[in-house]
Amino acid sequence: MSIEVVSNVLFSTLRVMTPLLLAALAGLISQRVNLLNIALEGLMLFGAFFAVIFGAHFENPWMGLLSSVLLNSAITLVFAFAVIELRANLIVAGLAINTLALGLTSFLLAALFDMRGAYSPSGLQSLPHITLPLVSAIPVIGPVFSGHGILVYLSWVLVVLTSILLYQTPFGIHLRAIGEKIEAAETAGIAIKRTQYIALLIGGILCALAGSQLAIGDLTLFNDSMINGRGFIALAAVFFGAGQPGLTTFGCFLFGLFEAIQYRLQMAASIPPQLPQMLPYLIVVISLTAISFQKYLKDRRTV
Amino acid sequence: MKAKTSSLSNADKSRKTFFLNEWFGIQIIPSTLRVILTLAIAFLMGAIVMWVSGKDALQAYNALFQSSLGSRTAIANSLLAATPILFTSMAAVIAFRAGVFNVGVEGSLYLGAFAAAWVGFTFTNLQSWVLITLCLCASAIVGGVWCLIPGLLKLRLGVDELVTTILLNYVAILFTEYLVNGPFLVPGLANAMSEQIAPGARLVRLMPPSQLNLSFIIAIVVAIIVIYIMHKTTLGYEIRMVGDNPDFARWSGINVSSVIEKVMFIGGILGGLAGAGQVMGVHYRFIAGFSPGLAFTGVTVALLVRNSPLGALLVALLFGILRSGGATMELMSDVPRDLIRVLEATLIFFAAIEFGSLIRRRRRVN
Repeated sequence: MSIEVVSNVLFSTLRVMTPLLLAALAGLISQRVNLLNIALEGLMLFGAFFAVIFGAHFENPWMGLLSSVLLNSAITLVFAFAVIELRANLIVAGLAINTLALGLTSFLLAALFDMRGAYSPSGLQSLPHITLPLVSAIPVIGPVFSGHGILVYLSWVLVVLTSILLYQTPFGIHLRAIGEKIEAAETAGIAIKRTQYIALLIGGILCALAGSQLAIGDLTLFNDSMINGRGFIALAAVFFGAGQPGLTTFGCFLFGLFEAIQYRLQMAASIPPQLPQMLPYLIVVISLTAISFQKYLKDRRTV
Repeated sequence: MKAKTSSLSNADKSRKTFFLNEWFGIQIIPSTLRVILTLAIAFLMGAIVMWVSGKDALQAYNALFQSSLGSRTAIANSLLAATPILFTSMAAVIAFRAGVFNVGVEGSLYLGAFAAAWVGFTFTNLQSWVLITLCLCASAIVGGVWCLIPGLLKLRLGVDELVTTILLNYVAILFTEYLVNGPFLVPGLANAMSEQIAPGARLVRLMPPSQLNLSFIIAIVVAIIVIYIMHKTTLGYEIRMVGDNPDFARWSGINVSSVIEKVMFIGGILGGLAGAGQVMGVHYRFIAGFSPGLAFTGVTVALLVRNSPLGALLVALLFGILRSGGATMELMSDVPRDLIRVLEATLIFFAAIEFGSLIRRRRRVN
């Protein structure tokens, strides 16, 4: 394999891991307040939909991004209200959000734009791409790290910010306290509901970014199957990383790598495309199994 | 996750002290009221969505029910649409009742459908009843084993079943698509489908010109068997015990792992049979991507009736009406059929909220 192919695959790994990473950060923060957020999938689809619709309407991708963030926050607040105040079962409510995202986006697409399943408005620009000033000049590394969409770089900043938030701020201590032992956190006077609201809200915003990256990051297209389980792969990355930002990022990189490899295989080989398409899903299930197996062996040794 | 599902059933239990008209585990008056109320809210939400996007809601609902109940054929088509949902909702009921979040039935449905089609177009010389039995058995075994995989991963290694079952669905859907595009590609056909199955493997049509077929009868029989198992057998008792409190079940001598294995296997069998019914009764071949999320509709039904198998039987029929009406509604009133998904989402959302717990909580405060 030539060095060019490797740097090509790594470049697209960084690109395709971004939505996973943003959604995984969302999942990680809710995981830390003991809320298993399976609505990531639906929230990403909503995020992608709003980004395209409003980006085209205002003829400005930034307005698309902003609308996506605002509307996703509103949807997340309703979801959070149901879960926190009305004590809705978290998984069932998450399933409702996922179903609603599928139904409502296709319905609105057909009802308002007379489009079936996919929408690519003309005149919609993607978000800007950035050529890193010094890095781009370095031979092998430059083409891998430079020239990505702006959300790719933002996602890296957000990983650092999430780590700081979790481990260096009082809010992060509250988050983790609720996740470790909710009764103790309550006794210590931590505002549990408020913290859970904020955690879910941050998640909704991150999912808006994740959806926007897919919809207007590189392409300018909405497609009702564009998320295709990425929300659940992101959740798997959180399990894989045991809730640590660094390990979770590594999980996203790993899953992104196999996604990039499968695109490459689809282009290069003469096998039917469905086989490489299965690869990322299988890799996720296998990695989760491997992680659990390792834990199982460790537990047995200590016993 | 287990704690959440068991808290649902605990709430049901406390309600039993108020209403003694319990029959087959479903408290008829409050449950019926709750389902009707939830449905009313869903239709209202649907009307709002249509009104906002400038569609005539009354006309759309009229078209929906006209085309699903308006004639003999329309009713037959609704029952046809309900057939796979009957299977998948029973699968969801059994899994949720045991506290297992098995959403991998969609994968079993695809693999089971392909297995039935393969037997149907390969062993064409067999007698009809032998061939039909073989097709059904193949789909049941393939579907069952497929769901057993995430079950074993959960039991042996503690891998979360919700994420694995959902991701394995994608694997199953893509794999069957690969099969009809690769090894089982039929030259000259639009390439996302298999050969036709032998005439002997086809299930009898009950009310032509509707495609309603024998698989509907099979589905009803299976649903009745599930109701019987859940309420009248040791296995049903064990499933309910495991769902209510796995620790207590373990202490009272129930083999929890074995119960969960059985639950996953049965769920897969039902998914496989649902797929086989579509192949052997409707399409007469395997078509890639043929299911519009039939297993997820089953999940919706199970959640709406709070895992009562009898309730699922009735509500699955209702969902058949929605599904078959939705397709025609689109043609007659230019309201996209995706509206049905919006209705389903609203139903799931309000099924998640416990109206009862709200009222009770307020009462306690007073």
